[in-house]
Amino acid sequence: MTPDANLLTSLYHLVAKGRVLESLLGKLPGFHPGVGEEGVVVGAFFGLKDSDYIAPHYRGALLAAHMRGADLRRLIAGVLGKVTSYSRGRVRGDICLPLQFNTLGMFSGVLGNPLNISTGIALAASLDEKQGVVVTSFGEGTSNLGAFHESLNLAACLALPIVYICQNNGYAMSTRTDYALKCTSIADRAQGYGMPGIRVEGNDVVAMHQAVQSAVARARAGEGPTLIDAVTYRISGHYSADPNDYQPKDERASWLKKDPLLLLKARLTAQGVMTDAQLAEIEKAAEAEITEAIAQAQADPDPGLEVLGPDDLYSPVLERVA
Amino acid sequence: MSQLTFQEAVIQGISEEMERDERIFHLGQDIGPIYNGAMHSAKGLGAKFGPRRIIQTPISESAMVGAGIGAALAGRRPIVQLMFAEFLGLGLTPLACDAAAMWYKSDGKVSVPLVIRVLYGAGPHRGHSEDYQAWVASVPGIKVAMPSTPRDAKGLMKAALRDNNPVVFFEHMALYHGARQEVPEDDYVVPLGAAEIKSEGSDVTIVATALMAQQSLKAAEQLRGEGISAEVVDPRSIVPMDVETVRRSVAKTRRLVVVSESWKTGDPLSDLTASIAEELAGEAPLKIARVGLQNTPRPFAMPLVRAAMPNVQTITEAVRRITESN
Repeated sequence: MTPDANLLTSLYHLVAKGRVLESLLGKLPGFHPGVGEEGVVVGAFFGLKDSDYIAPHYRGALLAAHMRGADLRRLIAGVLGKVTSYSRGRVRGDICLPLQFNTLGMFSGVLGNPLNISTGIALAASLDEKQGVVVTSFGEGTSNLGAFHESLNLAACLALPIVYICQNNGYAMSTRTDYALKCTSIADRAQGYGMPGIRVEGNDVVAMHQAVQSAVARARAGEGPTLIDAVTYRISGHYSADPNDYQPKDERASWLKKDPLLLLKARLTAQGVMTDAQLAEIEKAAEAEITEAIAQAQADPDPGLEVLGPDDLYSPVLERVA
Repeated sequence: MSQLTFQEAVIQGISEEMERDERIFHLGQDIGPIYNGAMHSAKGLGAKFGPRRIIQTPISESAMVGAGIGAALAGRRPIVQLMFAEFLGLGLTPLACDAAAMWYKSDGKVSVPLVIRVLYGAGPHRGHSEDYQAWVASVPGIKVAMPSTPRDAKGLMKAALRDNNPVVFFEHMALYHGARQEVPEDDYVVPLGAAEIKSEGSDVTIVATALMAQQSLKAAEQLRGEGISAEVVDPRSIVPMDVETVRRSVAKTRRLVVVSESWKTGDPLSDLTASIAEELAGEAPLKIARVGLQNTPRPFAMPLVRAAMPNVQTITEAVRRITESN
C-alpha cells in the first residue's frame, strides 16, 4: 500500500513535533527521553478512533497523549509537578497520563502493570461488543517480566482486541537486548501464545503505522491479539543525565543514518510531497509551539497545600440499588 | 429469611448484585460450572450467568488482577477471585502500586470498582491458610473486608460490589461451610467501615474479626461464668477501620484485647491499638493485650497449628491478665 501525501504529511508533523518534544524535555532533570523512537510512537497511535484506548510505553508517553488530544502545556506541567497539570501535581506526569483521553499511563513506576491493566481494558472492550480496541506499547526489557507472559497468554485465551507493541530500542537502561533476550526477535515469542508475531522496522513510521493498522483491523474483527516487535534505537540516554557512553560508536553511527525523522524527510522529498524548505518550516513551527508550552508550564504555579488532600483517599461514590 | 452457610451467603450476595448490575462480571480460575470454584466459592454462578460473565482464566494472578483493574477503568465492575490469600503477592503489584493510588493520583478522575476475593484461614483445607492481610491493609487506597458471619458476609459483599474502590474480600475457610445463620433475602448492605458489637459487656473490650471473632464470643461466654463481662467488637472490615466504635467501647471498659489470626508483627489491629492508646491513654489507666499468631511461618501439623494460633484459652488468659490485677 502506497501512502498518500496527506498521510505522509500528517505523520511528518507528528514525528517532527515528537523530536522537538523529546529533545527539549530531555533537558529536564530525571526525564526519560525517546529521541530516535518517535517513529514507533507515531506509527503505533496514529489513526485510532477516539473510543479506542492506548497505553503507551513511558518513553514517548507525552507525544502519545498529545496525539490523543491532551494539551501540551498541561502535560509538561505534569512533568514539572505544577498545579496546572491534569493531576494538579499529585502524580509524576512524565509517565502518568490523563485517562480522560482514553490514554492509560503508569500510576506507579512499576513496569509491566500497564501491560496487564491494558489487557483488562481490552477485556471490557470485548464485553462491550462495540469493537473497541486497545493499542499498548512497552520496552523490550519489560517483555522479560512475568506480566508480559501472563497478559499475552490471557489475551490469546480470551481472543481480546489488543495490539501489543514492543518498542525495542536495543537497551534496557544499559543492558543490551542481545544479552537479555535469547530469541532472534521478540516477535518469535508470539508463537508461544498462538498469536501473530510481526517484526517491523520501527524507524520507518509508514511501515510501522501500516503494521499496527493491520493488527488493529484484526483485533476489531474479533480475531484476537497481535504482537509487534518494533525495532528502533535509543539515540538519547536512558534518562536526562545518562551519558549513554555504553553504546558502541559504530553501532550508534549506523543507527543515526536510520533516524526516523531523516527517513521520513527523505521519503517526502523523494516523492515530491514537500520541499526541504517546507519541511524546515514545519520543524520550526513545532519548535516554537513546544518551546512556548514549556515556558508556560515552567511559569505555572506549584500546587498549594490544598491539593495535598489527606482525606481524599477513596472515590466517595457508592452505587445504590438501581 | 433463609438459613445459609457463609459460602452460600457470599454467593447469594454476588448473584443478587450481578442480577442488579450488568456491569459486574467474575474472573477466576476454575470458577465455571465444571468445578464451581475452589471450595465451591462460585457454586452455581457459571450455570446461572454463563461464560460471558463468569470468565475462567489460566493461572495468571498478576494478569487477573491487572485485567480486573483495566476492566474497571473501562466502566465494568469486576470481581477477581484469586482462590487463596496465599496468592495475593502475585497480584499485589498492580493492585497496591497502581489501583490503590489511582483515585488520589488522578486527582479524583479515575476510580477502580474492583472486588478481589480470597480464601484463607486455618481450617479444613490443611493448607493455603496464610492471610497476608497486612500486605493489602497497609497500602492506602485498598479496602479490606473480613466478615465473621453469613449475614455479614452477604451484606459486606454487596457493599463491596457497590463501592467504587478496590476491595479485598477475605473468606475464612473454617467458617465457609460451617454454621448456618438466618440471612435476609431483602436488599441490605453491611457498610465497609462499620463495626458491630457482637456481644455487650462492661469490663473489657475484645476486638477480633472472622474466625477470631467467633472464638472471642466463645471466650466471652466462658468469662461471663467467671464474672468478667467482655464486650466483643467485630470491625468487619479492617480497612476502613471503625476506630470510633472501638474507642467508645474502650472508653467504657478501659481494657482492650485485640485478637488476630495474623502475626502480631505488622498486624493491622496493632495500628488500631496504637490509635486507641493515642486517644485514650492520657485520660485514665488503660490496659492493653494483644493475642496473635506465633511469629513464625505457619506450622503444618494440627497440634502445632492449634498451639501457634490464638484460641479460646489464649484469649481468656489475655483477658484475665489485664483484669485480675485491679
